[in-house]
Amino acid sequence: MFTVFDPLLITAALLVMIAGTAVRWRSWQRGRKEERSGDWKGLCGYLLSHRKIMRKDRSGIAHLLLFWGVLLPLAVIFLAQFSFVLPAKLAGALSLFLNLLGAAAIVGILFFLVRRMGKDGSPPEGVLPPAVLLLFILLSGFEAQGVRLNIVPAPLWTAPVGALFSALSPASPLFLQLLIRMHLLAVLLLVATLPFTFLRHVTAGALNVYYKSKGPRGALRPLAMEEGCLGAKTVEDLSWKQLLDAEACVSCGRCEENCPAFLSGKPLSPRKVIRTILNQMATPRGSHPLLGEAVTTEELWSCTTCMACVAHCPLYIDPLDKVVDMRRYEVLGKGAAPVEARPMLRNLELFGDVNGKSASHRTDWALNQEVPLLSGQPVEVLLWVGCSGAFHPAYRETTRAMVRILKKGQVSFAILGKEEKCCGDPARRLGEEALFLDLARENIRLFNRFSFKKIVTLCPHCFNVLKNEYPALSDNLLPGNFEVLHASQFVLELIEQQKITLKYPVRSTAAIHDPCYLGRANGVYEPLRKIAGAVPGLVLHEFQRTGESGFCCGGGGGRMWLHESGTHINTLRAKEIAQSGVGLVSTACPYCLTMLEDGLGGLELEKRPKVRDLIDIVADSLG
Amino acid sequence: MKIVVCVKQVCQVCGRSGLAPETRFLTPQDLVYRVNPYDEAAVSVAARIKGASDKTEVHLLTLGPLTAERELRRCAAMVEANDLFQIVSDADLDPRSKSDLLAQAIRNIGPDLVLCGKESIDTRHGQVGAFLAHSLGLPFVASIKELDISAEGKARVERSAGRGLREILESTLPAVFSVDMGAQALLLPSLEQKKRADRLVVRTLAFEEGAKPRTKRVGLHPPRPRPKKIAAPDSRLPAFERIAQLLSAGRVEKKGVVLNGTVESQVDGLLAFLKEHSLFNARNVPGGE
Ligand code: SF4
Ligand code: SF4
Repeated sequence: MFTVFDPLLITAALLVMIAGTAVRWRSWQRGRKEERSGDWKGLCGYLLSHRKIMRKDRSGIAHLLLFWGVLLPLAVIFLAQFSFVLPAKLAGALSLFLNLLGAAAIVGILFFLVRRMGKDGSPPEGVLPPAVLLLFILLSGFEAQGVRLNIVPAPLWTAPVGALFSALSPASPLFLQLLIRMHLLAVLLLVATLPFTFLRHVTAGALNVYYKSKGPRGALRPLAMEEGCLGAKTVEDLSWKQLLDAEACVSCGRCEENCPAFLSGKPLSPRKVIRTILNQMATPRGSHPLLGEAVTTEELWSCTTCMACVAHCPLYIDPLDKVVDMRRYEVLGKGAAPVEARPMLRNLELFGDVNGKSASHRTDWALNQEVPLLSGQPVEVLLWVGCSGAFHPAYRETTRAMVRILKKGQVSFAILGKEEKCCGDPARRLGEEALFLDLARENIRLFNRFSFKKIVTLCPHCFNVLKNEYPALSDNLLPGNFEVLHASQFVLELIEQQKITLKYPVRSTAAIHDPCYLGRANGVYEPLRKIAGAVPGLVLHEFQRTGESGFCCGGGGGRMWLHESGTHINTLRAKEIAQSGVGLVSTACPYCLTMLEDGLGGLELEKRPKVRDLIDIVADSLG
Repeated sequence: MKIVVCVKQVCQVCGRSGLAPETRFLTPQDLVYRVNPYDEAAVSVAARIKGASDKTEVHLLTLGPLTAERELRRCAAMVEANDLFQIVSDADLDPRSKSDLLAQAIRNIGPDLVLCGKESIDTRHGQVGAFLAHSLGLPFVASIKELDISAEGKARVERSAGRGLREILESTLPAVFSVDMGAQALLLPSLEQKKRADRLVVRTLAFEEGAKPRTKRVGLHPPRPRPKKIAAPDSRLPAFERIAQLLSAGRVEKKGVVLNGTVESQVDGLLAFLKEHSLFNARNVPGGE
């Protein structure tokens, strides 16, 4: 069947593909250095289980069908080159299996074609040609089988789909030859163009999964300021892995579908950010406009750093770290932080807290509470109060509730008192890395002076920063002998060890609003639910968007201090809460508390659901 | 154009959280050393003018020991200052004599425009600007919010004249203006600007003829306790201690529990308290034990 030209054609196709891959390879290799180690096991597990891709049911299944429907026949065709003979039954079964797989792949590709045409009928660039080509390859394969069946009959059960095609096909050997040639040409065309279409995710995506970050999701990449890097001004300021992220994107839009900024009509779309970077990678070095212009500042500051995009991307792409790097350049490189956020940043610089109340007032909440101050004596728990816990009028109640719980559980604990400084999260998320480092270093120096076994924080943002980001600082001086827990984790321990009992019923139907920095960033979902389950009288429901898909309150990433235009994110969430009909929303974050209170307040409901921190609920029920 | 901005280093008292009357209830954490925010506003105004024309030079001038050097350099970064001058003087000066010293330095620099804050947050005299203008024989406008330099080299300033009135004045240059806060967006210098400012050498100036202060502070009273929310002093303490506690206006340690929680838990808490203090006898209650 092969002609003398075929090896030439195949070589040419392969050469084009290799050359194309090399060009693409160079385009993402021009990023900055970054240490990454690969993970074969992770990649194999990812491909075999398809779990991450199947998070979205229908497209996940379609991908699974297509993946195996292409891969297995390919493997068989390859093996068939080494002519060995199978027993007739087995060969028949294999043929049946491949037949069905091929059909499944057609279903998969048709699904994607229809879906990618989208509502407006315009699929993302580079998607249509390879998809059509793939469909053609599959159909021409079946048609060839149909014609062959007409020439050389075989039992119906070994090729039912081929038999369907045979009903409409002539028994012409010439036509068969033609079909086979077209099939082969299409395959070669697909192979040759692989690096130039979205199908490059076959290689780039696999590579991206291979190099996926193994650290906690909530930790931001440290900035190499000493090497003169001030964030991302151009694509060259991003690391090679960040560029590989863009290279691997298939424009599926899952990030966008879950992005609170996008859903509330803000100009930001994580997909667009990634696509913009991809487009700029194709331009010659230095010829492209600044990222700050291609991606507008309005987009940058719309991000709540909720990580929904990161959690939902099937290819482990992280749009957030690019947004933060661009923010870093805005702030460190240009001194152009949003005007509304500047007083807060200045307060951090001068007074060490977001409110500018200064250290003098950091322990005002503890008035009359007999809260022990950390001294030379070792304690079990250092209670990290945080700016909200110390200054926010409502959240100070929560801090006091936590103290009551700790006392009831007879925990040996203490606070840092006036010496505690902001953990630095708002500064870091807004791109003010230098300020973050100053604050972090001061706090770390403080930790080194005392002896304790655990840090327990009330605020998930403090929790994330202390747990995941302080240890990663380049000049890490952190005493390595303590663990960081969120209050909910610690309180659950107390309940499970029966150090505290929850006796008084809190009669309400409640649902948990998962804080992004507790859930998506650190995977703390269960403790909240277990604690709620332990409170007598509380009937727990789940919101529709919950857990990994939980919807942001709109307050993270420094957005607490920024002006919000259009539909507010907290209003969107408040509407969902109102529709769910629960009487109590339990959360575990001062930002969520404030944002949801405000959102619900704005709805003017007849019966407004209460928003409370889980710690307050526990304290109420404390026996 | 050459601009001199006078910046004062101040010690901001953020609270009085100490317990000792002899330190006026101050603790080190209550004090924040910084540049007077009104002067920072003046620096912002200068930065805006400098941003509009790259031929503008800005010189910062401070007086006395460098108690807030970091903040001073931050100001230099905000405006990309060409120089940072420090007049060395340890003397206890009044506003007039301070202005005399500043005026000597300014004469040497020879600027077209002198800016300073309308007052400082530590002494709140608000006199330096006016005295400076007097010593230098220059026109003066107090508490300006906006400043524009016209093409003919005149200054057009806007100030609030109270009750929402905004007054616009035109002045010849050189001139002295004192700046009010509120109209200028806070400037956060970029890292590069900060680094450059860190490399700036502080140029010290010393003047032979020390100005003689003609007024002198002879007393300073700590603020009277203002009506603000503090916990009631413990009623079991003697009057003297209670007054001391009130005066400290900070931490007041007091025994006692506030019951919160569900209604049931509050009732139980009350009962427990009453029983503990033998104020309640369950046998007297119908249905009691
Ligand atoms: S970044 Fe990930 S989720 Fe977003 S469009 Fe690209 S592949 Fe899809
Ligand atoms: S982190 Fe959240 S807000 Fe930011 S781009 Fe991703 S999904 Fe959108």
